[in-house]
Amino acid sequence: MSKLRMNVKATPIIGAALGALILSATAAGLGHAEDLPEGFAKGELAPAPPAEMIEAGKRVYFTKCVWCHGVDGAGDGPGADRLWPRPRNFNQGTFKIRHTASGELPLFNYNEKNPDSGKNDLLDTVTHGLPGSAMPPWEGILTEEQRIQVLSFVTTQLVKDRKFTDKQSETQTILQLGTLKPAEATEESIKKGAQLIVDKKCIECHGVEGRGDGNAFNLKDDWGFSIQPADWHKCWNFRGSRQDPYNVRNIFRTFSTGVNGTPMPSFADSTSVEDRWSIANFVNSLCERDAEGKPLGIDPLTDKPKINFVVPSAPVEGEISNDPENEMWKKQGRRYVAMGGQITHKPRNFVNRIDDIWVKSLYNEKNVVYLIQWDDRTKSVAEGKLPWAPIQVNVENFGVKEQAPKTGEEGSIAAAQNNYAVYNDGIAFQFPIKWQEIPAPFKPRYLWGDAKFNADILKWEADGSLRSFKGTGWDQDFEERDDFEEKTKLLKSEWKNGQWTVMISRPLKGDKDDYDEYTRFDIGKYIPMVFFAWDGHNGDAGRKMAVSAFYYTILQPPIPQEVYIYPAVIAVGVVFLEGWMLTRRANKKKGKVL
Amino acid sequence: MKALMSVVALIGVLGSLMLIGMIFGVVPSNTVRLVEGYMPMQVLSELAIFVAGFTGLSYLANSMGIAFPRFWQGVLFWAFIQAYLKFRIYPPIPFSVRAMYGTVSFVAVFMWVSANEEDWKKFRQPILNVLDANTGFHKALRTMYLILLPILIGGFSFMTMKPNVDEPIELRTVHPAPPASTKVHGKTYTLQTSQNPYRVNLEGKFDQAYSNKLIVEQGMGRLMAPNANPWDDKAEGYLKYVREGGEIFFQNCHFCHGDNLNGRGLHAFAFNPIPANFTDPGTIAQLQETFIFWRVAKGGIGLPNEGFPWASVMPPWEQHLTTDEIWKVILFEYWHTGYYPRTWD
Repeated sequence: MSKLRMNVKATPIIGAALGALILSATAAGLGHAEDLPEGFAKGELAPAPPAEMIEAGKRVYFTKCVWCHGVDGAGDGPGADRLWPRPRNFNQGTFKIRHTASGELPLFNYNEKNPDSGKNDLLDTVTHGLPGSAMPPWEGILTEEQRIQVLSFVTTQLVKDRKFTDKQSETQTILQLGTLKPAEATEESIKKGAQLIVDKKCIECHGVEGRGDGNAFNLKDDWGFSIQPADWHKCWNFRGSRQDPYNVRNIFRTFSTGVNGTPMPSFADSTSVEDRWSIANFVNSLCERDAEGKPLGIDPLTDKPKINFVVPSAPVEGEISNDPENEMWKKQGRRYVAMGGQITHKPRNFVNRIDDIWVKSLYNEKNVVYLIQWDDRTKSVAEGKLPWAPIQVNVENFGVKEQAPKTGEEGSIAAAQNNYAVYNDGIAFQFPIKWQEIPAPFKPRYLWGDAKFNADILKWEADGSLRSFKGTGWDQDFEERDDFEEKTKLLKSEWKNGQWTVMISRPLKGDKDDYDEYTRFDIGKYIPMVFFAWDGHNGDAGRKMAVSAFYYTILQPPIPQEVYIYPAVIAVGVVFLEGWMLTRRANKKKGKVL
Repeated sequence: MKALMSVVALIGVLGSLMLIGMIFGVVPSNTVRLVEGYMPMQVLSELAIFVAGFTGLSYLANSMGIAFPRFWQGVLFWAFIQAYLKFRIYPPIPFSVRAMYGTVSFVAVFMWVSANEEDWKKFRQPILNVLDANTGFHKALRTMYLILLPILIGGFSFMTMKPNVDEPIELRTVHPAPPASTKVHGKTYTLQTSQNPYRVNLEGKFDQAYSNKLIVEQGMGRLMAPNANPWDDKAEGYLKYVREGGEIFFQNCHFCHGDNLNGRGLHAFAFNPIPANFTDPGTIAQLQETFIFWRVAKGGIGLPNEGFPWASVMPPWEQHLTTDEIWKVILFEYWHTGYYPRTWD
């Protein structure tokens, strides 16, 4: 009897469990049955936004967006031609960062007000911007309401070839990112990912080390503009990083949905969810980290790694190794040096492809050595002799021109990209000559010094030359310093898998104590330093280059003995003070008077 | 009273939890926007809310009979101020400045706890308890202090004496005094008397009252005034010049000053000094148009020494733009931020 009752009870439970299993399997996209890729589920098209919302959005658009995206949303506003990547052309309804399957429209629902819900891709994009491009995060600038209004306007009025509400032509197959749990980034998972990116041919575009250096030249987007594969070592520049660059979910999403309008396909059909997490974990593991393997601190104002403006140089005994893998180099911390385009004087560089370099430094009793590494998708060495002499800086006289403000799409930066004459890659840095005599905070101008305070410039070019110059102004040809050049030394210069490694040695001082010509390095002093970088395939030459702000280099002194002695003395003093106070207190309580 | 105090106390608890969460990275630091740059009103009002919250908490605790010792109130409040200054404000304040605030708040806390004899007794009682070590607990505490204090003080002096490689602090004048006149493209402009030739009404006369009516509205978003769209085909005079100025801005200036004129353009992260934020009420809103004209035309290299001309990457725009273009860009900047240029009278 009891048995029977149990059976009666159990049946519905089992039935319910089975039902739940089937249901959840379908929801989680076991929808292999429906031919949905794993992890995806069918979704409904969102309702059309109301007319007054669209009208309000028009006002937002013509105040904020029109300047780059253009009156008709064709991505051809006044700012467009000097930008790369170019502003989005909305007309075709092609959007890069989505939760929807490859080729589908992105998610946009005017009722979904939470940008981070994973249910409103476009709101997410407008809120967090597209790092690495000119699209800023609009959070805190436009209210949430205004962001939704402007998207209502864009999706209904400016997307012209497709309709967000057309059930006939549009489908929504949505990545269920919220319900998928990331696989833990174990060594095993990362190792598997490393193998998968080879099997899946990711490396053909993204390069063997993921620096975006594979096939960097032949890639074009839907509109025929040159684009480049992402550099996995700079996750803060991922367009889809959503201001959270080390979050593996962003990589998983991009890999699952593809990037519409670009050659980046969706791998959802051919890759299981588990494999996708492995790949995402591997790609995430490549992003630059600090010495302990922790994510770099990201500056919330710029969405780039936080900057420390001091490049310390540590003392070593004897010869300095020319191998970056040597223990003495591995021990020394590296510094992130941010590089912006040189936009002060003609020819300006609106699109600098080198946006950061990593610097380490060591010194011994004779020399100071700088190890500089930076990502450059292309090794560029000019064919034949350059038309200008190495000391000439006004290269615009030789045809190195900055981009005209308005050229039409054919002549834009994006169209010209990869079509420049190839010059040499290069790196250079400058110090003030006689900085000891310049009262702080005065410095020679960041751009190659000035007439009053000259700059000591050391420039390496990919043709293998290392030259030493004196700079007396941004438009003044360099002065040569041949006798000094012999004392400088190029310890290493190598381009491998999208990364340059250049190691430059220079003496701490000249032969005598006379330092009219060269910077003399004094231990423990802050010496201003500026970095310059050229990408030869970007048409960089002369002043068309990337440039840093003022940094300081400092030869760290060995720690003097007093540093150990005085604190010990102080600590002993404190012990005596404690003893005195306690005795005094005890005596007072006993009524004794000292 | 009690109800009011409970509400206030709740605010105090929530605020403290949020701050602690931010410090330990549990709560995302942008839940409530960080105090960015020089925002004294935001700092003061936030601190006021916290103080009110703590008052409520202490009141409630009192009425529930679990009064919090005055000594720990003082110590914790001082620690709170330090944590607030360190974690709530971005970019971070240098330690030397925080140390000054620390001293001032220490004095303030000290004055508070020693306001009258009774309070002072309450405050120093825990200290005396430990010093006299009458109970076992206090004895253990005293021994701990006796050992820890020399170690901490010795360690601290070691850390301060150890040669460090922190960034040196250099203070720069953001708005240096302008010259009386400036020569651009061969023409001399007296800063006191020059006017923006494009700030005109429909009759073509200089008319600031007219242009003030057409700028974007203040408040979140700073959207254009209704029926004042510079992109309207029929836009004439002032609004048409605004659009032309905007075109120049988005071909030249936004790379640093940003799409929203807030100094956060594409290249801004790499430069120091950082590009000016025009939406900040402390920049162009405080200045005359002619001052901007001088700064734009002469750029960073034309600054007096207190403005660090050697470090600024601001181009001398006379090398890139015509005088007319410079005036139009200035017109656009005031339009887009919704500020009126200052006038001489």
